[in-house]
Amino acid sequence: MALSFKLMENVFLSSKCHRQNALHPFCGPLLTNCISKLYSSYRRPGTSPDNTPLWKMNFSFENGVDWIKKNFGLLKKELVDHVKGPEGRGFEEYFLEQTRVVWEFRSQKDLDEWVVSSDAEIGGKSEAYLKLGKNNQTALLFGTLSTEAPRDGETGYSGYCAIRAKLLKGAFDTKKYYDWSNFNSLYLRVRGDGRPWMINIYTDPYYSHQKDDLYTYFMFTRGGPYWQEITIPFSKFFLSSWGRIQDDQYPLWLDKISSVGFTLGDKADGPFQLEIDFIGLLNDRAHTEEFAYEKYERNPKA
Amino acid sequence: MNPHANMIIMSSLILGPMITITSSHWVMAWVGLEINMLAIIPLTGQTTTTHEQFEASIKYFLTQAAASSLLLFSIINNVWNTGQFDITQPTNTLSSTMMTAALTMKLGLAPFHYWLPETLQGTTTMMTLILTTWQKLAPLTLLMMINQSLNTSLLVTLSLLSMMIGGWGGLNQTQLRKIMAFSSIAHLGWMTMILTLSTKLTLLTFYTYITLTTTMLLTIKLLETNKMSTAMTSWTKSPMLNATMMLNLMSLAGLPPLTGFMPKWLILQELTKNHMTIIAATSAILSLLSLFFYIRIAYYSTITLPPNMTNYSQQWRHKNQQKPYLPLMIITSSMLTPIMPTFMMIL
Repeated sequence: MALSFKLMENVFLSSKCHRQNALHPFCGPLLTNCISKLYSSYRRPGTSPDNTPLWKMNFSFENGVDWIKKNFGLLKKELVDHVKGPEGRGFEEYFLEQTRVVWEFRSQKDLDEWVVSSDAEIGGKSEAYLKLGKNNQTALLFGTLSTEAPRDGETGYSGYCAIRAKLLKGAFDTKKYYDWSNFNSLYLRVRGDGRPWMINIYTDPYYSHQKDDLYTYFMFTRGGPYWQEITIPFSKFFLSSWGRIQDDQYPLWLDKISSVGFTLGDKADGPFQLEIDFIGLLNDRAHTEEFAYEKYERNPKA
Repeated sequence: MNPHANMIIMSSLILGPMITITSSHWVMAWVGLEINMLAIIPLTGQTTTTHEQFEASIKYFLTQAAASSLLLFSIINNVWNTGQFDITQPTNTLSSTMMTAALTMKLGLAPFHYWLPETLQGTTTMMTLILTTWQKLAPLTLLMMINQSLNTSLLVTLSLLSMMIGGWGGLNQTQLRKIMAFSSIAHLGWMTMILTLSTKLTLLTFYTYITLTTTMLLTIKLLETNKMSTAMTSWTKSPMLNATMMLNLMSLAGLPPLTGFMPKWLILQELTKNHMTIIAATSAILSLLSLFFYIRIAYYSTITLPPNMTNYSQQWRHKNQQKPYLPLMIITSSMLTPIMPTFMMIL
């Protein structure tokens, strides 16, 4: 088995594959405390490569059994939910709802659904933390932004902090998506510090060459003690790829939403704070715009 | 699209299945399939104003290319074993099994159906119509031509699986094109069920399916609705079309005395005659799953009045497109069962 892992590792490194190897879903749960090279070949600039041999990993059958129980339970839930209705709720409920709260922050478990990141991963000096707010009613994202670029000879720019919701996973780590096709606006109740934030919506595309595509819009916070209720129609979100706004703009595909995130990158050094009460959806019947940006034809008819 | 390119593409799209249907040489049949596939790809992704169309055309191409290569491999295997390219001559077991797999992949039968709902959801309604009707012609014809060499047990298994997946998958869909995709999978199950026993019935089922699906998709296009939520307010645009859509849905479900009941009745009769009563009963029970979601669309769009805003009730003020041949198609999709003996004589 060690030889097969070694062979897999060599194949992976030679093919530079960023996707899970076929055997990993079966052996992954058995491996504890192991840095999986099969997920990504990303290495922080300036750090030395990890040469831990694969045969030194710890196997745990208990973990494997727990994993099997959990995934079969999820599979059973998916099958039952499929019978109940769209997304496990009744049909009438699905069609009659005009608002829905998707994320609210009432306990540590709600915070665990989010991932905090900053340019510290690439050697920067920004800091970002996420904790529950007063009376466990909100989430507080705070920290310090620093635009000082790391001195590793590779990175030219720095200065971002972000949080992003974890991707939904179904049984056996299959991808699951949010279906927001019944709604047309994103509704947030936040209290910021006057800084402009970017809201990113990630629609996991089918093909890997589009994996860096992101739909973005801006959220301008007012600061001050009063809560801010922001409604952003989905028609306003524009397509960017790898941080660059694309010339070819497409409307957001609402039935395949994977994740939502907030990013701060306003090039202003100093502390920041964003308090989020909830993130929800709204079906604003008065909003009839389909897409805000021009979709030009390359060869227009004369 | 450039009119010259459009002309070439449309003529290739028509020519491809014609070559396949009229050929007795395996390579010519495969060439016809390829011409058809290459012609439909630019049509599927012709307007890249939406991300979905671009993705759908690639998904369609990858699946069809894989099926074509498997079919070519099975043809070569057949030639190696039998020494001849004639379609009508019996093939050996391995070749016929591979051909079955390749052609079912092209058709979108279970278990090779995963591409169909995603592709149909991503394209326009007219392309959905072509993909669910015209594109089925050539592979189904090839299956009918080689039906003597096909494994009945395998086909019956694939058919039952298709009916089950077509019914189960469409249960809680809210997008109408995905519902039509699962409907297509279930109907193809009925067609392939009876393939080895009676190709005439397969042909009758196919013609009926084309009529019903064309009528349904044209109705969806005229009502300009893609989702269940917009179908609920389509009565404001054209109440008559909304009512006939209900009839069409019942016909798709196979309820008597509408047209869709006719092929199902004959298939069950043929299966019973061939002592396959349990399979006939299972097929009838599995069709209840499809019946459920057809009735649900009819319930929400026609039978009940869902809550809606004032602006939705004014949609009749906007002029709708009109298709002069649609009334004839609606009549054909609803009232053909009483003249069933005529069809039996013709076929």
